Order: sequence, then structure tokens, then C-alpha cells
Amino acid sequence: MLTDLYQRRALIWAFANRDFATRYRSSVLGWFWSLLQPLATLLVFAVVFSVVFRITPPPLGADPDRGSYAAFLFTGLVTWNLFYTIVVLSMSQLKSNGELLRKVQFPGWAPVLGASIVQLVQVVLEVIVLVLMFFWQRNVGWTWILAIPILIALALFAQGIGLMLSILNARFGDVQYIVTVVLGALYFLTPVIYPMSMVEDSASNLVIFIQSNPLTWFVEAMHYAMYSLVAPEWWVVPGLILLGATTFIVGLAVFNRNSEDIGELL
Amino acid sequence: MTEIAISMEHVSKKFIRHVERRNSLKERIIRGRSGSSEDFWAVKDVSIQIPKGSVYGLIGHNGSGKSTLLKLMSGIYRPTEGKIHTDGRLAALIELGAGFHPDMTGMENIRLNGSILGLSRKDIDDSTDAIIDFSGLREFINDPVKHYSSGMYVRLGFSVAVHMKPEILVVDEVLAVGDEEFQRRCEDHLYSLRRAGKTIVVVSHGMGQLEGLCDEISWLEHGEVQQSGPATKVIRSYLERVNNQEAARNAEVSSERTDDPDSMRAGSGQIRTQSIALQSESGTPLDHSETGTTTRFAVKLTAKESILGPNVRVGIQHEGGALITMLNNHRLGTDLGVVEGDFTVLVDLINTPILPGRYRIHIDIFDHTGAKLLDNWSDALEFPVRSQRGEIGQGFVDLPAQFTLQE
Repeated sequence: MLTDLYQRRALIWAFANRDFATRYRSSVLGWFWSLLQPLATLLVFAVVFSVVFRITPPPLGADPDRGSYAAFLFTGLVTWNLFYTIVVLSMSQLKSNGELLRKVQFPGWAPVLGASIVQLVQVVLEVIVLVLMFFWQRNVGWTWILAIPILIALALFAQGIGLMLSILNARFGDVQYIVTVVLGALYFLTPVIYPMSMVEDSASNLVIFIQSNPLTWFVEAMHYAMYSLVAPEWWVVPGLILLGATTFIVGLAVFNRNSEDIGELL
Repeated sequence: MTEIAISMEHVSKKFIRHVERRNSLKERIIRGRSGSSEDFWAVKDVSIQIPKGSVYGLIGHNGSGKSTLLKLMSGIYRPTEGKIHTDGRLAALIELGAGFHPDMTGMENIRLNGSILGLSRKDIDDSTDAIIDFSGLREFINDPVKHYSSGMYVRLGFSVAVHMKPEILVVDEVLAVGDEEFQRRCEDHLYSLRRAGKTIVVVSHGMGQLEGLCDEISWLEHGEVQQSGPATKVIRSYLERVNNQEAARNAEVSSERTDDPDSMRAGSGQIRTQSIALQSESGTPLDHSETGTTTRFAVKLTAKESILGPNVRVGIQHEGGALITMLNNHRLGTDLGVVEGDFTVLVDLINTPILPGRYRIHIDIFDHTGAKLLDNWSDALEFPVRSQRGEIGQGFVDLPAQFTLQE
């Protein structure tokens, strides 16, 4: 199954190239826009939640007397966006390539993975901005290196879910609306805009939910590695990689089993 | 024993025709899985063996299952029942230029399309030049394809597809695109693939083209194989069936048409055409005329007063609008003399040098000076021309000509 991916890597790249070339071709500022959107969200959220709701950020790893809500928020936003954009993009890929899938026989996961590769380029740009932000805050540590396996694990996790949802969405046209609503709710059940410490003490069932949400694990791992500069327990990162890889393989298997007649579905 | 490139055994394909398409979750949940849907068998129990190195044709009416069969062969559809086995790399030209992205240049699209069709990057690099040359679009290759004409689009699509060095090429009616020059280049290319021992499966309505290209043909009717065998034989039976069906359909139109006395006519009315009949040379009524055999139009007229030397003009128009000819007795030097009362003019179209198609007859009658219109009957008769030889859609007239090999 995975060797198929390797054998058709030229095809995945071809779709990635297509999406890369066409994504911002018609706009002059190109990639700048893709960064502007999360930065704008960051600015608005930073103002609203730190000034209006007075959320106190946890202490920075390099300087426990100081906290930076913007840096805390951006760490979570970058992580969340990676998951969200890959799931949402993947979900629409079969439909948007329907014309092609109806007429040429090729593996349906190729355009899905191609689109995600392009999205990863954007994530890298966001991570670069995040790193610059932490340099500016003088919050630098060796634990940063852990961000790489965490993000890769998250990308695999998101892709696995994205693959399953894409085939579901090809069969049932309204899956994308349901997913959008669910993701909207999930966003608030993940410690992106608030620190985990704010909810941990409350005894409501919501906490259990937040703690059992896999995205919490990824976001918290990123908070540890990038913001607090503390290495999580030794099993956390391998565990996330295992979770990501398993989800990806299951997603691909589900996709393969259900996509044989994709040409007829679309 | 010959090797088999594509083997289909008892292949059937069912489509579920939803009276209302139920592809939203809510509807699935509320009304369940079953309900108002009908099964539709697009392909029924088809068994075909296509030998390696042969050219195989599929013919049949629109909706007879040809394209579904091609999609089954190329793996886009899964058979509901039966087995399909293909041996060798298969390229399908179901639609040319499918998957071109309008914002990308011709060059970028060649690379994308090549990858989709299964070429490795190296193969694409190696054949890019050949593809561009074949398409004849070198000048425009770095322009986005959204600025291409539809013809250019298709040329590029065909060029990419035929250069992917398939062992089996599946072609669906795509040969009818592009200008004449390009069409010929495509046809030449198919012949050269055939010479190179590739297997080709082709769907087309161009019987002449298929007859020259194919070794064997299957004729599909409502998803079932009606007849399989040598190209010439199957095409002949198919055309015979089409001709018979058309004859049945036209039975009520047929041989003769009588004037409706109340209808308004242009002209002075001194002569009025009463009826027109299609006949053979010996006078038997016909419901169609045949290329190469004399057709007679018997035109019955009534002159209200004595008229000197009228000119009866019979226009033959193709259903597409082109006027083929305007026969008239003055030009042929026939003087009808003085006519009065009822009389009949026989117009013989010698050896009917008209190719198959549907034609309409218009009649108008002028006086001997040619200045005064006495009667005009547009669309007096509509009749089909058929041919035993099976030419279809290759022009209107069968001009006398001769081919000789110069020593």
C-alpha cells in the first residue's frame, strides 16, 4: 500500500506542482496573502482574548517572570491550522478533481496528497514566522527540535482523517457541512486560545473531553516544546508519531477500499 | 495461439438510476437505503477477447453501452459481474485534455497530464519535444491553456496521450475532433501504432474509418453484443439494420405527397403542382433513393389555362441546408410545349449521384420567359438517399471520377 505511494510519487508531485502553480498565480502578492490570513487572525485574537477576556498566558520557558499571549496563541494556531487546513482541503479534493477521475484511471489519493503537500509549504512558512517571533521574545531552547516530529505526526494524523472524509464526502455531499461545524466546535475544545491550566482545575465533564481530544495532545506537545521549552514525557512524541502513522495508514486503507468505483460516484 | 490483450468474460455493469438522487446523509437516514431506484444494465453479459496487436472496433447507437464498456476496460468502472483481464499498459482517450488546468501553460499541462496517464518523469522529459512537435503548438506552449482555442486544446490532449507509449490504446470517439489536417495526423498515428503491433480499441461512428482501421468489430445494442466478427461483415449488418429502421420510421412519409389545396402558395397560380412521387426508372413507387440507381420524381401539375413552354425547376436540398442542385427543363433544353389541364412531368435523376443522407425537394415553375413565377412549393417532398456501399457523411455528391496508377 505504501509502496504504491512511492511508485506514483511523480503523480503526487505533479498534482502538488499544479496546485502550487495555480494557487496564487492570479494574485500579485502570492504567498504573502497566505501568511497574512493567520497573522490577521493572530492579531485579532491576541487583542480580543488578552485585552478583553484577560487570559493570562503561562510563563515563557526562558523567562518564567514573563508571558506572551501572542506567542502562546500563535503556537497553538499554527498547530491547529495544520490540522484544519489539511482536513478541509483533502475533503474537497475528490470533488474538485471529479472531472478527471471520471475520465482517467489513476489513484484518487494522488490529488489529495498533492494538495496537502502544497499546504505543508504554507505551514513551513508559518513555523518560520513563529520561530522568528520566539527569537524576538528571546525564548530559544533545544526542545524546539521536538516540534519537527510533532508536526509531522500531526500532518499524518490530519491526512488520515482527511482521506477518510474525502471519500465520505464524495458519497454524501453534505459531509463537508457537518465537518465544518464539528471542526468549529473542536477548535474551542482544544487549548489554542486558552492555556490548559485555565480549565484543568474546573471539575466539569468538559475537561475530560478536552483532555481526551487528540488535538489537545498535539497542541500541548507544541506548547511544551516551543513555548515552555520543556521536553514532554519521553513517550509523548513517539506516541504521537504512532498515532499519526496509524491514522494515516488506516485512512489510506479505508480510502483504497472505498475508492475503486470513485469514477462512478462523482 | 494468439495472445490476448483484453479478455472480458460475461461482463455486466449495473447502474442504479435514482429517481431522486439520494446522496445526502439526511435522505439516506430518513428514507433508508432502498426505495425508488431502478437498476439499469448499461452492459449485459459481454464476452470479448481482443488479441494482441489487433485493432478492435465497437459500434452501436448512442446509449448502446460502448463508452461504458471502454470505461470498464480502462478500469474507471468496476464490472458488477464478470471478469476483465488486461495485459499490458493501457492508455484511455476517453476525453482529450481532461485534466488540463486552464491557468497552467501548455508545457506545465503536458507534464501534469503525462503523470496522470502514468508516465515517469524521465519518460515525460524524453517525449516532451515529440509531443510539442506533434501538436504543432510550439509557438503557444508557454501560454496558459485558457487562451487556447478548443481545437488547440484537443490537439495537445491527443498528443500527450498517444506519446505515452501504451501497449493498449482505448479511443472513444475522439478522432472526430480537430481540423482535417490534424484528424489525418491522428489517423496516421493510429495506423503506425497498429503497425508497431499495439492493440487498439476504438469507438466511432465513422463506419468508413472503422472499416479501414479495424480487424474485428463488435456491434452493441442495449448493452449486449449483437454481432462480433470481421469488420466489413459487422459494419454491413449494422448499416442494413440502420437502413431498415429508418425505412420503417419513414414509411408514412415515403413515396408520394399530395398538395393541400388550401395551402397558400407564392406565384400567380396559373399552374399548380398537385403531387410529387418518388419512383424507380420503371415507375414503381419508392420510399428512398439509392446512390448509383436512377431516381424518378413524378410531378403532377394542373394548368388552369394554356401555358406556353413552362420551366419546371426541381431543387434538391440537403437537410443540412446546402442546395445540391436546381434541375430545370430549360437548361436541359427540353421544351414542354403548350400545356393545359392535368399533365405529369417526369424528372429522372440519372444514376442518382447523391450520397446518403436526407434531402428535400422544392418545386417552382416559371413561365417561358423565366421572369414570372407561376407556382412555388417549398419542402414538397423529403426523402432519404441510401447506399449499399455504406458511405456516410462524406459530402453530398458522387462525382464521376477515375483513379489510375501512373506507371
